[in-house]
Amino acid sequence: MKRFPKILAILLAVVLVISLAGCAKKEKPKVTFYWALYDGLTEQFRADLETAYNKQAKDHQVQIVPVKWDEVQNKITTSLAGGTPPELSVVGTRWLLDYMTTNSIAEVSQYVSKATLDNIAPGAMEAKIKGKLMGIPIAAGARILAINTDLTKKVPATMEEMRDEAKKITKAGKTYGVIMPGKSHTETTDFCYYFYAAGGDYFAMNADGTYGKCTINSDAGVKALTFMADMALKDKSVQDGFTAMTRMDAHPVFYAGKAGYVLIGAWVESAMKQANATFKVQYAQIPPFQGQKQAGLIITDSVAMFAKAKNLKAAGQFIDFFYQDAWKAKFDEAIGFPPVTISAGKLPQFQTPLYKTLGEAALTAKPWPLIAGWDEFNTIIWDACEKVFQGKATPKAALDEAAAKIDAAKK
Amino acid sequence: MHSVSSHELSLKQRLWNPEARLAYVLMAPTVLFLAAFLFFPIGYVFVMSFFRTNKLSELTEFVGLANYVERLKDREFWETVGRSMVWTATGVVVKSLMGMVIALLLNVEYKGRKVMRMLFIIPWASSVPISALLWQWVYHPEFGLLNHTLKATGIWTNPPTWLGEQLSAFIACMWVDIWAGIPFFALVFLAGMQAIPPELYESGQIDGVNGRQAFRWITLPGLRDLILISTMLSAIWTFNDFNVIYILTRGGPAGATNILTVSVYMNAFVNLKFDKAAVTAVFVFLILTAVSIVYARFYFRKEND
Repeated sequence: MKRFPKILAILLAVVLVISLAGCAKKEKPKVTFYWALYDGLTEQFRADLETAYNKQAKDHQVQIVPVKWDEVQNKITTSLAGGTPPELSVVGTRWLLDYMTTNSIAEVSQYVSKATLDNIAPGAMEAKIKGKLMGIPIAAGARILAINTDLTKKVPATMEEMRDEAKKITKAGKTYGVIMPGKSHTETTDFCYYFYAAGGDYFAMNADGTYGKCTINSDAGVKALTFMADMALKDKSVQDGFTAMTRMDAHPVFYAGKAGYVLIGAWVESAMKQANATFKVQYAQIPPFQGQKQAGLIITDSVAMFAKAKNLKAAGQFIDFFYQDAWKAKFDEAIGFPPVTISAGKLPQFQTPLYKTLGEAALTAKPWPLIAGWDEFNTIIWDACEKVFQGKATPKAALDEAAAKIDAAKK
Repeated sequence: MHSVSSHELSLKQRLWNPEARLAYVLMAPTVLFLAAFLFFPIGYVFVMSFFRTNKLSELTEFVGLANYVERLKDREFWETVGRSMVWTATGVVVKSLMGMVIALLLNVEYKGRKVMRMLFIIPWASSVPISALLWQWVYHPEFGLLNHTLKATGIWTNPPTWLGEQLSAFIACMWVDIWAGIPFFALVFLAGMQAIPPELYESGQIDGVNGRQAFRWITLPGLRDLILISTMLSAIWTFNDFNVIYILTRGGPAGATNILTVSVYMNAFVNLKFDKAAVTAVFVFLILTAVSIVYARFYFRKEND
């Protein structure tokens, strides 16, 4: 009995040695890439890209990890906090400011070749912050209005016209005028469409160019949210159960041919193709409110490189590979966004009416405010919208509360 | 003097003999695992609650009790606490009552009883996130099975948007939690019922007791300890339930299903406010510890009696 612990200790040591010997097998350095799942992007494309790159890479391998858009930031945060960030990740460009405050990201121009960077359209370089390129653009696209011409031929010149037409299209439970997500998700894009169309801006600008007081409760904000609530609750011209639908739930109702209008991004065509939509569609600009100038929303996403990752040089090589037309143009086509690379922009597949409309929209569109803490503000704005949709607050009261919360959080 | 040193020796002998050493070796992996993945994170959350944090959850500035004061002054925090209590109490009461009814039905002798027992386990045996995803589709306002059935059968021509209205969203989430939790109670109670000696019921019959009296005076006392322990466990699980709400509503609409555990997650991993999340997590820890202590004292007092 007394000898038993010694025997056990020897056995444990043997098991440990064998385990360590197994772990010691030499593996090639790995580049991890958090790959946000855009609408229209297929698993096959991800797998093909990974295989093609790894086949030609001599001294390292890339692992492309698919991540749902809503989970990307969470995954990055936990990996950064755990000290094991990926080399690369798709990020919303506005997140970069948060990562910069913690010195988490590297300047991409240190690792990506000049040839690749020179091929990127200068207008897409939103991630150039204080003169440093902190992310390479992966997708940049203005939002537009898609019209189901089987239900309406009307191309509205103003929001008011769209509302009137939406009422005519709506037949309870069968067809709807406008698609409106009413459940919070990654971005408050839907409020933003109406807010910008009413001439709104999220913040007043200080003299030194920094963001000042939150102005979401301005007349434009109240007008936008009131308009949304009226369409949904008074006219009932949005899809049934809109308060339970995120963008991902709501847009399929349009793809099913049941709605006249949807305010949407460039992925509309590829998503409709995937949904086997058969109706005819026309693209137009998101209309402004009467008396306002055209102002849509443009969103850019970037690929960030994380400073504490081990294989940034190899990550740069992967980006050079991925940003060739053979892959990047296919990627752009799948997600439906206009190309960010100059060479892909000249390809015939990007000369369609959709891309023409997107190009025109980009001329007058505004981006999100590039401000740290945007995700919390996003949640606050969604809360305000939901309170109004639930009848718990008036648009004015909800937005006043939201503006106060954002100002407090900004401090 | 002699006796003291012999006592020390015996203590040493007791703590460091071959059997004890073997026990340490065998326990070491578990202790290390718990220390790394349970005690350290809990301790770190307590520490974090006294600091400001950055977006990566790193501690940046000691602020003492300021985070607690801010949280306690926040009206929404108290609403969330109240909602968590209602969520837990409703869930535990309904699950235990329905579990009891089902256990009674499964305890009756009839053909196909074994099949029924297996069927009733399915919700509990299924992964909660998968069940929640399935229910999300059932509740879908446009394509969902529930509203389609209600409309098609004429039972409810204008049913609510289950996950889109405040009251119905709370009820819909609650129902999924209840649906997944009933089998646990049913199985525990059924096991308890089968452990009650049949002679008690037989003598009761001889004395002329009816079914209701047998339940009140034989079954319920026989299940007393099981009821206590199962409701305590369920209270902790229900209070901590995150999956169902996060998948179905993410705490919405307009905060209607936001309970403390969801609030911890949203603050930490959506808003990246780790200090705020840490304070809420400490409250959750304290509430659950208090509940456990009260239950444990009650349970062990009964046991000692």
